Amino acid sequence: MAERCQHLDYRREGDGKAFEVARAYCTVADRFVQPVTADICNARYDLDPTEHCEIYLDHHGVDGEESAGGTSDSDSVGDGEDGRKGSDP
Amino acid sequence: MTYDDYLDGKPVVVTAALTGGIHGKEANPNLPETPEEIAEAAAACEAAGASVLHLHAREANGERAFSTERFQTVTDAVRAATDDVIVQHSTGGTGAPTELRAEPLRTDPAPDMASLDMGPMNRGQHLTSENTRATVAALHEEMRERGIKPEVEVFNDGHLNEVLAVADDLAAPPSITLILGPGTLSVPSPRSLLHLVDHLPEGAEFTTLGFGRHQLPLTTLSVLLGGHVRVGLEDNVYYRRGELAESNAQLVERAVRIVEEFGRPLATTDEAREILGV
Ligand code: SF4
Repeated sequence: MAERCQHLDYRREGDGKAFEVARAYCTVADRFVQPVTADICNARYDLDPTEHCEIYLDHHGVDGEESAGGTSDSDSVGDGEDGRKGSDP
Repeated sequence: MTYDDYLDGKPVVVTAALTGGIHGKEANPNLPETPEEIAEAAAACEAAGASVLHLHAREANGERAFSTERFQTVTDAVRAATDDVIVQHSTGGTGAPTELRAEPLRTDPAPDMASLDMGPMNRGQHLTSENTRATVAALHEEMRERGIKPEVEVFNDGHLNEVLAVADDLAAPPSITLILGPGTLSVPSPRSLLHLVDHLPEGAEFTTLGFGRHQLPLTTLSVLLGGHVRVGLEDNVYYRRGELAESNAQLVERAVRIVEEFGRPLATTDEAREILGV
């Protein structure tokens, strides 16, 4: 059974944004994550940060090099081009 | 549905997808997440001309919620805030088990419609929204048992094969949403939409859903092709390049202006029920 990601934090402020209720925040990418990504971060259902999150996989690169975030949260859930959002229609 | 429907002035059904299950306020702070915010957006979209409201539920922190209880709260709030709309619940849920995805079908009353995703869609490098045939069949069966009209979601033209395979089992007329965008969605272009429309099952009603910057041009083309349209912050958080949308209603208002400018009437909710067979 997968474990919640070690890089997950819950914050009300960060990345220039503020929320009334603390939200999932990725300390690798330094930003709030999308709700669908939060399910990966929390290892809900059969989702696993070490298997499904590009930010995690990039950060813990297979060659042992660690990078500073790299792949975006947006990329990890297949958002539309030009930064416009995709969805789970 | 054909160009003749455009010429004949067939009413256009406008669906507003208010919230979605992928991005949230981190993408656009105007995206409604709480039941109160969703109800307020629902009322504004109804006033702007939407007759179908596509709903997802969220937890207080914006994360995805699938439980009947959470959907009940959202749908109760929406029904209380609106006069008469067609309530459509999502059964989508990348990574979530089928049993959980069926929970939105179990509210009281049942939703008028519910989404039925006809096959897989990739998300990034490591994740796929699977939608196996077994999942589709299980969700469809529960919809039939509860008298819920499926909103059949076609992510690409291969999914039209899947629709054709079950077309005899779908309540008439099949109500099909054609989804065009990046990745494993249909290629977002006018020619692609024409191709999809050419291969619809006999008698089907179609709604066009263009992601992001494709929402505006494909909405326009759908109106010309005799189709219906879906807009909203679930599918597009921008009003124009670089400018976040202020609200779902702002996107509905623009769609309604296009519909009316091209001379097709906007469907009332009664007309939408008749057209979609709800
Ligand atoms: S986005 Fe990825 S790396 Fe960041 S907290 Fe979530 S699972 Fe971990």
